[in-house]
Amino acid sequence: MKELLPLKQVMGFAFSMILTFIAVTVYFSNMSFATGMTVLLVTAFLQAGLQLVVFMHASETEDKGAIYTNIYYALAIALVTVFGTLLCMIWGYI
Amino acid sequence: MKINHSLPLEYSTHQNQMNILGFWVFLGAEIMLFATLFSGYFTLVNRTGNGPTGADIFEITPILLETMLLLTSSFTIGLAIHAMRLGNKKAMNVYFVLTLLLGLGFLSLEVYEFIHYVHIGAGLQTSAFTAALLTLLGTHGAHVTFGIFWGLFIIGQLKSRGLTPEVANKSFIFSLYWHFLDVVWIFIFSFVYLKGMM
Repeated sequence: MKELLPLKQVMGFAFSMILTFIAVTVYFSNMSFATGMTVLLVTAFLQAGLQLVVFMHASETEDKGAIYTNIYYALAIALVTVFGTLLCMIWGYI
Repeated sequence: MKINHSLPLEYSTHQNQMNILGFWVFLGAEIMLFATLFSGYFTLVNRTGNGPTGADIFEITPILLETMLLLTSSFTIGLAIHAMRLGNKKAMNVYFVLTLLLGLGFLSLEVYEFIHYVHIGAGLQTSAFTAALLTLLGTHGAHVTFGIFWGLFIIGQLKSRGLTPEVANKSFIFSLYWHFLDVVWIFIFSFVYLKGMM
């Protein structure tokens, strides 16, 4: 039974629960908007990285380079899309 | 077909390795799809018209429950892949069923949430905000729904064909998809719900 619960994944799960708990403190405590957003940004991206490395086995094979290049590319496009939109639709004209 | 026994079953043939890499490319495209939906949401989040705002309609309890269910299902599908690599078909099956049940729990809560929103007058056509919100949530929910059917068929193949390199490869790719949905949900949870209620 024990071999079916590998320590690495149990720790990953515990850590993701802790990250969720930290994120939720944003709701239950009275932080300023800037502090709250910082907490959320840090926990969300840590959580995503955790899933990628611990659970998705992204760095196990010789395709590692191709897989990470692909993820970084997708992430770059995603960030440019989101922040570019915010820049010209929200922040630029207020 | 050349089978390399030094690698886990799901990577053991060249075709299998290519399938996994190809699926990563697909996930890259999915990241971009959700990025556009998030962009739309962030642009329209304050355009509530005569409708409610996020703080008016979001409730912490069902959202926390949904997050717990999805995070746990992401954990169990990880355990399923671990059991698969040990060659333990029975444990893999149990973890797969558990994952799909947790996914189903998540989905029922989300359906309840959507009915609740429509009920309190925050439907798809109420305001730009509700339209962007429900499109983002709905796209994620549709992915989960698709994943549940996909997982069911994989359980079926596991029963009828056993743990072959092909079935192992499909299971692994399914696990990638499922973890990806969890990652998207983390961003929805943080930047739609928690940000909206802050």
